Amino acid sequence: MMEALDRLPDQINEMISDFVAPAMFGNDYFGFTQYIFWMLIAIAILLIVLFAAKKRQSLVPHGRFVNGVEALVEFARNDIVYGVIGHKTGDKHMPFILTVFFFVLINNLVGLIPGCRPGTGTIGVTFAVALCSFVYFIALSIKIMGVGGYIKSLAPKGIALPIALLVAVIEAFSVILRLVTLAIRLFANMFAGHIAMGAFALMVSVMMGAAFQVVTAASFGAALAPIAIMLILILIYAIEMLVAFIQAYVFAVLSAVYIQLAEGEE
Amino acid sequence: MGVIGYGLAVIGAGIGIGLAAFGASQGIARQPEVQGRLFTVFILGCAFVEALGLIGFVTALIVR
Repeated sequence: MMEALDRLPDQINEMISDFVAPAMFGNDYFGFTQYIFWMLIAIAILLIVLFAAKKRQSLVPHGRFVNGVEALVEFARNDIVYGVIGHKTGDKHMPFILTVFFFVLINNLVGLIPGCRPGTGTIGVTFAVALCSFVYFIALSIKIMGVGGYIKSLAPKGIALPIALLVAVIEAFSVILRLVTLAIRLFANMFAGHIAMGAFALMVSVMMGAAFQVVTAASFGAALAPIAIMLILILIYAIEMLVAFIQAYVFAVLSAVYIQLAEGEE
Repeated sequence: MGVIGYGLAVIGAGIGIGLAAFGASQGIARQPEVQGRLFTVFILGCAFVEALGLIGFVTALIVR
């Protein structure tokens, strides 16, 4: 049993390197990786679900499917859009925020199916989504205040020039940091969650195999430890489902908060 | 060493999320009708705190 456990770190390293496997074709900078493949599948699922729900839509929704989709959309609208941006300008930004929310949500959820990968589990995809949201709220502020007005708004009014310059630089840095943290948060959550699940699954399989190399009465006693780990694995899986939802929610809420900040600066 | 570093990084994140949960639960206990808004703020605060902890995790994996 012990020598089986000694191999575990190597197997975990192997799993991690499988997570960052090279592109199927194309190079590492511009290629088609497994994550992009699963992202396309997630998008297909999302489109099918939404269009099917739209087709069956009626004034009084019938059935679990349509009701479920409508409940999700309504939750996103009332909680994220109206809750953060407000009713006045919320409707204008609703399509963008709901798109981001559903894109991230479906990618996270597809990644939870065993054997699948989350499209959001690679920094490229999350950075792209974060960049969309970044460009959206910067463009919105520039549309409201103009380019000069936006640069001026980085520093508060009525302070001496050298300090205003310093504050503006720090403020600009924090705005760029929003983009980076949006991308890293989602990526790291998905990556870390899947590594934790994979590590526990490997532990279960290694210890189970070691316990039942020779089937004796004692091996059932030795199997207790992997079974306990498997229960933890199921718990982690449940938490990951929660995380998949919460991260989509957080991503959408943060985008909404940044958009609201841009709206409020007029 | 990376593993120890990640453990140290998580202490900060743990304290942060603990403080956020403390504040949120106390706020809800004092004023139950703002539960919905407090929950959003709580999740947001957790997200910010958690991002720092996860940056520690990623660095521990990347820098060996």
